[in-house]
Amino acid sequence: MYAYDKYDHAITNARVAEFRDQVERRVKGELTEEEFRPLRLMNGLYLQLHAYMLRVAIPYGTLSANQMRRLAHIARKYDKGYGHFTTRQNIQYNWPKLSETPDILQELAEVEMHAIQTSGNCIRNTTTDQFAGATADEVADPRPYAELIRQWSTFHPEFSFLPRKFKIAITGAALDRAAVKWHDIGLILKKNDAGEIGFEVLVGGGMGRTPVIGKTINEFVHERDLLSYLEAILRVYNEQGRRDNKYKARIKILAEDLGAEEYARQTNEEWARIKDQPLDVPAEEAARIKSFFRAPPLPVLPDDVPAVDELEKKNFLFKAWVKNNTNPHKVPGHVNLTISLKPHGGIPGDATAEQMDLVAALADEYSQSEIRVSHEQNLILPHVAKKDLPAIWADLDEVGLGTANVGLLTDIIACPGLDYCSLANARSIPLAQAITERFDDIKRLQDIGPLKIKISGCINSCGHHHAGHIGILGVDRKGEENYQLLLGGSGAEDASKAAILGPGFDEHGIIDAVEKVVAVYLGEREDGEEFLAAYRRLGPAVFKEAVYGAR
Amino acid sequence: MAKKITGPQMIVANRLLDGRVVFMRADGSWSTVAGDAGTAEDEGGVAALETLAQKSAHANEVLSIEVIEATIRDGKPFPAHMKFAMQATGPSVRTDLGYQVSPNWER
Repeated sequence: MYAYDKYDHAITNARVAEFRDQVERRVKGELTEEEFRPLRLMNGLYLQLHAYMLRVAIPYGTLSANQMRRLAHIARKYDKGYGHFTTRQNIQYNWPKLSETPDILQELAEVEMHAIQTSGNCIRNTTTDQFAGATADEVADPRPYAELIRQWSTFHPEFSFLPRKFKIAITGAALDRAAVKWHDIGLILKKNDAGEIGFEVLVGGGMGRTPVIGKTINEFVHERDLLSYLEAILRVYNEQGRRDNKYKARIKILAEDLGAEEYARQTNEEWARIKDQPLDVPAEEAARIKSFFRAPPLPVLPDDVPAVDELEKKNFLFKAWVKNNTNPHKVPGHVNLTISLKPHGGIPGDATAEQMDLVAALADEYSQSEIRVSHEQNLILPHVAKKDLPAIWADLDEVGLGTANVGLLTDIIACPGLDYCSLANARSIPLAQAITERFDDIKRLQDIGPLKIKISGCINSCGHHHAGHIGILGVDRKGEENYQLLLGGSGAEDASKAAILGPGFDEHGIIDAVEKVVAVYLGEREDGEEFLAAYRRLGPAVFKEAVYGAR
Repeated sequence: MAKKITGPQMIVANRLLDGRVVFMRADGSWSTVAGDAGTAEDEGGVAALETLAQKSAHANEVLSIEVIEATIRDGKPFPAHMKFAMQATGPSVRTDLGYQVSPNWER
């Protein structure tokens, strides 16, 4: 993992001191709310329905066990004993007091964390594959590049007041687990014919009220040129992105207006001016950053573990958990283990302080003290020996973290919705709870197979409904919660926009509609055909008929 | 343009120091109980409530002031819209948190 140098420590501590001073001045009345609001937002502090909300950055979703313990401590001491892991691999606390926020930031700084640039019209936390550096299927580890982007973008003076927020995601694997095509900039690590590492660069992806899938503007940017190329993209956006209309201010609108070809041309024109300048990272600095992300020295172990096989024979839930919640590690005899934060009937992404502490302890004992957060709101122990799975399973199951549903229908992304969020029009979490209770049978879930449901409580799309195989969008219809059903989206390498199937439903009707959609799939699927493939083959009509036919 | 007033209105805000939801009494003081809120049903009355609330905001007691529609339940006002009703109770998915536990649930 990356370790702060003296500059990182200095700027983080300076920011805590600065914010402490700003809070004191606000409380004394020396700053009005109008003056203070942008300052608190720059430090991740929002005001939500019930209280303030603090969003803490988890750079590219990577946490040490010590950092996780600190997050648990903060939940316990300053909040209500839990935190919410988000679709941008961050964590949010729902009940912090303004007066205590500087102390929270100080506690974070002590473990090399902060809340800088988790809000505001700046470059946000760069996200990546939760299995980065540990999966068998990647070209290169994206984390050193994400760290480089973190350093370049933190307090970048030119990009602190962009037209709108800006999100970058990187994948190093062909299977896109980071939804890169839905980001303002998506980066796909590649090797060229000479074996050199670089990036396919996509621009202009985004959700919100105008969903757009990013378009490739460069098939291969050499790793050496990454920062200057990003800078050129941002300059084009910063200059021409719309500032007159908040809803048309994201880069996706500019990129659609210009077209990918023209965006590429203007980027290249700007790039020619700044290329081969100080933004080229010196080889020794690149090597220094990469050295923090060296693969841990894991022993090669046998892939067949009799103890695991025996327990699988005895315990179906353990067998399902191993099948669904593990991903092949690059070192034989190991797996990337996903801990589901989607217990059936629970709140997607929430974890109690006790659960966080347990995950930290398991990371220390079994996973090189490393933890990841996925954009699908789960936690990952990236370096687990297969032989340790029975012991880990027993510990997790005891605290409600043993759900064997990763990648299945109940592994739902849901935004906080109207239960917490002041922007929401409808609740999201109760739908996730009702759906997971309706489908609370792992055998049935496994039979249904990979199916991603994503729920947003408003058009801002924090719950990624546009990218759901089944998407649900909550709207306010004459003061009542109403839910639209969308089908056919994907956040993966085969990214696609989900389409609205028909009129919306109340909170009970939408659950029944999901069940009808699943029934159509089960009835119509061909051998081995997954839900999304079946939908793409069948088209919406057969689903529409099943859902609305009796109306 | 000001919204047409069609029924009783009340004022909700968040306390500056801890962000907690508060409802304004008729005398301009704040309560964590929605039923304590002062209401007004005409433009003049609503404007008077707003003036009191703004005074409190200028005194750095509260922020995010909103005039909201009220319904009257058992003779007491309660937010009519679901979003503000949620503020008066707490998250529907965490009934162990918020004013649904008690008006002084943190103290």
